[in-house]
Amino acid sequence: MTITETTQDAPATSPDILLSVRDLSVVYEPRGAEPTSAVENVSFDLRRGEFVGLVGESGSGKSTLGFALTRLAKPPARISNGRILFDGKDIASIDAEALREQRQGGFAMVLQSGMNALNPVRSIRHHFFDVFKAHGHVPHDRREERARELIGKVELPAATLDRFPGELSGGMRQRVSIALALSLEPQLMVFDEPTTALDVLVQHAVMNTIRELQKAENFTAVLISHDLGIVLEATERVLVMHEGVIVEDGPSSEILNAPTAEYTKMLLSHYADPRAEVVSLPGFEDRRLRQAAGEARSAAAAPEHAPTVVTRSVSVAQESIVVSHVSKTYPPPRRGEQPVRAVRDVSFTLEPGQSLALVGQSGSGKSTIAKMITGVEKPSEGSITFGGLDVAKLGRGKLRDLHRNVQMVFQDPYAALNPLHTVEYTLMRPVVNFTGLKGQDARRRVLELLETVGLTPVEQFAAKLPHQLSGGQGQRVVIARALACDPQVIIADEPVSMLDVSLRAGVLALLEDLREKWG
Amino acid sequence: MTYALRKVGLLILTLWAAITLNFVLPRLMPGSPADAAVAKLSQNGPVTAATRKAIEIQLGVPNGNLIEQYGQYLKQVVTLHFGVSYTFYPQPVAELVGQALPYTLILVGLVTIIAFVCGTLLGVLAAWKRGTWLDSLPTLGGSFASAFPYFWTALLLLFFLGYVFKIFPTSGAYGVTNVPGFNGDFLGSAVNHAILPAITILITSLGGWILGMRNTMISTLGDDYVTFAEANGLKPRTVAIRYAARNAILPNLTSFGLALGGVVGGSVLVETVFGYPGIGYLLLKAVTNQDYPLMQALFLMITVSVLLANFLVDILYGVLDPRTRK
Repeated sequence: MTITETTQDAPATSPDILLSVRDLSVVYEPRGAEPTSAVENVSFDLRRGEFVGLVGESGSGKSTLGFALTRLAKPPARISNGRILFDGKDIASIDAEALREQRQGGFAMVLQSGMNALNPVRSIRHHFFDVFKAHGHVPHDRREERARELIGKVELPAATLDRFPGELSGGMRQRVSIALALSLEPQLMVFDEPTTALDVLVQHAVMNTIRELQKAENFTAVLISHDLGIVLEATERVLVMHEGVIVEDGPSSEILNAPTAEYTKMLLSHYADPRAEVVSLPGFEDRRLRQAAGEARSAAAAPEHAPTVVTRSVSVAQESIVVSHVSKTYPPPRRGEQPVRAVRDVSFTLEPGQSLALVGQSGSGKSTIAKMITGVEKPSEGSITFGGLDVAKLGRGKLRDLHRNVQMVFQDPYAALNPLHTVEYTLMRPVVNFTGLKGQDARRRVLELLETVGLTPVEQFAAKLPHQLSGGQGQRVVIARALACDPQVIIADEPVSMLDVSLRAGVLALLEDLREKWG
Repeated sequence: MTYALRKVGLLILTLWAAITLNFVLPRLMPGSPADAAVAKLSQNGPVTAATRKAIEIQLGVPNGNLIEQYGQYLKQVVTLHFGVSYTFYPQPVAELVGQALPYTLILVGLVTIIAFVCGTLLGVLAAWKRGTWLDSLPTLGGSFASAFPYFWTALLLLFFLGYVFKIFPTSGAYGVTNVPGFNGDFLGSAVNHAILPAITILITSLGGWILGMRNTMISTLGDDYVTFAEANGLKPRTVAIRYAARNAILPNLTSFGLALGGVVGGSVLVETVFGYPGIGYLLLKAVTNQDYPLMQALFLMITVSVLLANFLVDILYGVLDPRTRK
């Protein structure tokens, strides 16, 4: 647990050092725009078998650094300077084929979005076989055996090999991608936000698997995360990154107890111990929606399969949503299996101006309820009424009226925005469709909305495309879109689960402000 | 398996609907084929009732009520008895169609498949080597060539390769002295006659396939599973073909199905310009001569071929994309 010397300029050559990074810089050079520097003159060493965390907010350059370490940076990103010595070899400058061969027995990466990291039309077994074939490190007749062994290491049944990615849950898919990375027998594994897209219980289990694997296989691991809690829990040493620079590098315990950099202190202050929030769970009165994230954690402490519904009343009045005895049953996923009962006899009332938190682990039916309220899905039993309308029985035209009043904010801002349309166009659609404003008036309204959600300068944001926005900005656009038609109800489905701590706080505070302002 | 069975069921249902529509629609039209024939004859003088009766018997005026007619019609469809053509009297429609079909299927069908395969491969290559000449040449060339109207390209080729340089014959499917059959002379002549129309179809349709594949492939190349495959050090070929192209081809299959379905009916222009005796040429003649039996048989065949092509693509989809099998 010693701090490795990183200020020296010569790369460390001790056999104990697996990876030695010197003056590494990465720039983004998008076409027709000014290059921006994402990582600046970063130097550090990793010892063999070390488990290191890389922490920073979104945009701090931590993922860019992770991609650079495994030589996965693609244009417009470019390693502009520096050396990456892996096991004594400079991998910053080797050619593509040498790099490809180096990946077996070298360095592997697990991506943030493990849900999408698998080829949807290839069975899990073939994913493994592809890796074996590419490197020839597993003899042909041992492939099946080795694949079973690997899938067992991430605690999945061997039958998973027959499945296609679409048939697995997010957590299972992330486990498969860890097993795939492991199949390279790497000395260094980089985990880029491996659990961010997963819900809390699964997150916990996957992290445990990662930790156990790291101990058992004794590879060097880098855990990239915005979640200081997860990192501090898992790793022995933490690098804190801010605006492309490593601002602090020290043992986890020191970072937690005696941070030196201002930025680390700020991060720590935003990071509240999840267990503390469980204690304060009953005190909804002043915590309101902000609590959503914390409550989701509490479900981890007291897992329940039935969706838990927590209601809390505030004020104002117009029309309320009444959900009574609602059930939703999906047809069985495969023949001969039981039909899936996603929601079972749920009732609650949402008064106007009130915010309501719906808490439960993934698969508990939270999203299904949200979909039923917005009329996307129809309940199998029971009824949902909004004012005088029975949501389940609405025709197309009436659904339009419903959507004028009930709007949804989705979990993943990247998936919820059409990548081909500018922010302005995305916001213009609901404005034109629902408010009847046209031309200049509609445009003014769009800019107003952007200002409401704190995306300034508004003109600049209006012209951007979704991929030019960070996760937090994207989510703000999604919220602005939901607000565009002056809805009475906004349903936010895990609006912050993909975001990091301070963005999370920002978005939740924004939702809260909006709620107070508009009821 | 259930997926395939469901698709077969759907195919049978739509086939039945199409066949029935083909029965109902002509009966909703005013007048009858006999009226048309009598009207034609009456230009040369008065038509007696006996002549009219003779014409009706010749053409086979339906007897019995609608349901009996329908039963008869279904029987005719199943046994491929579509009556006698007016234009090529007294040749039966089935015989005419049977003669024309191989030419269209082989020429247009084969070229459509070749265009799809080549265009897709070029599209994959263009996306994989994005930004190099391998990208810009097929992309620009393809969109340039497909921007010309079909008949214009055809006329250009006819003029230069047919009249000026006399490399290829300008019309027909085989030489006047050849007798259709399985002999070297005839086959050589048939291939020679097919080259110009084939090149024309290829030139005008290739660009669309290249662009379609290139664009979907570029978007799959940005997908996480491609990055992850690269992170796992898979060979570039595997990544390009089994990961990126394999997923990118799925949406293009739908357009391929439509193109295949259009093979039978959509070849009117090609065959007219090149005087090629295929289905399209036959259809044009049937329409201009108000040859109802021939038209009815051709329309039915076009509908059926569209349905069959889409069925095949659906099944292919089920094989290629595990997500559709649920």
